[in-house]
Amino acid sequence: MYQYSEQDHQLLLERVEQFRGQVQRRLSGQLSEDEFKQQRLRNGLYLQLHAYMLRVAIPYGLLSAEQMRTLAHIARKYDKGYGHFSTRQNIQYNWPQLEDVPDILDDLAAVEMHAIQTSGNCIRNTTSDPLAGVARDEIEDPRPYCELIRQWSTFHPEFNFLPRKFKIAVSGAIGDRAAVAVHDIGLRLVEGPEGENGFEIYVGGGLGRTPMIGKLIRPFLPKEDMLTYLEAILRVYNQLGRRDNLYKARIKILVHETGEEKFRELVEEEWQKIKATGLYLREQDVERIKGFFKDPDYETLPDTDAEFENQLLSNPEFARWADKNIELHKQSGYRVVYLSLKSANQPPGDVTADQMDAVADLADKYSLGQIRTTHRQNLVLSDVKLQDLPALWQELKALDLATPNYNHVTDIISCPGLDYCALATARSIPISKAITDRFDDYDFVNDLGDVSINISGCINACGHHHVANIGILGVNKKGEEVYQLTLGGSAREDASIGKIIGPAFDADQIVDAIGDVLNVYLENREEPEETFLATYRRLGQDPFKERLYG
Amino acid sequence: MALQVYTASLLKEGLVAYLSLKDGVPSWTADIREATADTADRLDSLKAAAESAEQDNIVVAPYVIDVLETENGWKAATKREQIRAEGPSFALPQDSSTAHRSDESRRAA
Repeated sequence: MYQYSEQDHQLLLERVEQFRGQVQRRLSGQLSEDEFKQQRLRNGLYLQLHAYMLRVAIPYGLLSAEQMRTLAHIARKYDKGYGHFSTRQNIQYNWPQLEDVPDILDDLAAVEMHAIQTSGNCIRNTTSDPLAGVARDEIEDPRPYCELIRQWSTFHPEFNFLPRKFKIAVSGAIGDRAAVAVHDIGLRLVEGPEGENGFEIYVGGGLGRTPMIGKLIRPFLPKEDMLTYLEAILRVYNQLGRRDNLYKARIKILVHETGEEKFRELVEEEWQKIKATGLYLREQDVERIKGFFKDPDYETLPDTDAEFENQLLSNPEFARWADKNIELHKQSGYRVVYLSLKSANQPPGDVTADQMDAVADLADKYSLGQIRTTHRQNLVLSDVKLQDLPALWQELKALDLATPNYNHVTDIISCPGLDYCALATARSIPISKAITDRFDDYDFVNDLGDVSINISGCINACGHHHVANIGILGVNKKGEEVYQLTLGGSAREDASIGKIIGPAFDADQIVDAIGDVLNVYLENREEPEETFLATYRRLGQDPFKERLYG
Repeated sequence: MALQVYTASLLKEGLVAYLSLKDGVPSWTADIREATADTADRLDSLKAAAESAEQDNIVVAPYVIDVLETENGWKAATKREQIRAEGPSFALPQDSSTAHRSDESRRAA
């Protein structure tokens, strides 16, 4: 992974000291809340429903074991002993005290982490495929390009006060595990006409109150032009994006109102002016960054293992986990392991400090000392030897991190909702728990197959409900929490926005409604392999609507 | 006319607090039941105390909320404020090796 330079370290330490001074001035009254708010937000510090909330960046979801231990230490020393992994691969602490935050940032800086640009109208943490570098369907490792974007966008003086926040995702594989279509800019590495790799550039995707799928504004961009092209897009947005209306300030609205063709012309025009400038990526610069992401020294191993096979045949519990939470690896004899943060015992994405420490130890023991976070709020050990899987499973089971449900019905994305968030209008975590409790039966989960449920506690859609096969949006109706259902969304390469099925359900009705939707699917699928989404797309809303509303 | 109390976040801790005014002496408490409530037309002294606490950098962004009188004392009228007063509506993840901050840390300012 990327290692900070001396300059990086210095920059971070200076930033921590700068914020320490700002906190001291706020506590002593030299700064008003209005003056301080912009400073704290620039350092990832929100004031939420119950307390401050600190959002820490995990660049493209990649963590070392040492960094994970530091996250555990912070949870234990400064918070309530747990953290929450978010849909943008970051971690959030829900209970830090203001005067402790500079010390937290100091601890983070010691392991090359920070909370810079995790809030505010700037370019946020770039997200990526949690299987980057190990996926069998990968065209090229996206991480070097994520790192280049990170370096370009951090403290970029021109883009420090954009009309609104700005999110970029990069994927290098055929399968989309980074939800690139619902980001302000999505980049997908593809093979070009001459056999060389480049980027598809999508612009104007996003969720919130106006969900949109990103528009393909360039089907192929040479990789060396990546930063100049991003700069051109950001310049057009920075100049023309609306600043008069918060709800119309995202780039998706600009693309929509300008028109896709006109927007493309504006970007290309701007790009022609700057494409030969210093942001043009020289081969040696890219190679230098790629050097941080070289393959480890994998052992030469067969792609079978007697004990693994024996466990599959003799241990049904292990076989269930292996079926759901293990992915093939590009290297023979290795596997990718999903650590489910979706047990019935904790809110989705929450991890205790004990679990974080244990995961760090497991990463060291079994997976070359690295951990990834996923946008579905789970963790990944990316380089586990096939022969180690039974032992790893035993340890994960003891940690309650082995629920066999990856990409299945109880692998629910949930925003913090009204239980934590100052913007939320309804609770989401208790609904996710009620759904998990109702459907937490392996045979049922297995029979349903690949299906996603996402829950948001307000129209801001941090729980990505629009792109779930089954989306739930909590709203406040005359003082009561009610829940609206959307069906047919997808965040993958076939991205789509779900459609509202009808009037909202009361909190005590929503789990039954989900059950009805799942039963309509089971009764109407043409074969067990036909997924929920495929069945929905074939049948449309009618049979679901009929069952739900009669 | 609905009864109201002043609430805010403590600047230093960020935690939820309610204004109590006893014998003209203001203090901030984590327990909504200990807050001083009054009707909207009689909130002047509470308002002055809240604004003063904000100027003195004890609390952030004070505002009034409606409360209901129950046998256990004041209860916030809306679900949002009930959750804010009582904390998340589920058990927080428990870390076995950590002595968590207890509710005692929600001390009055």
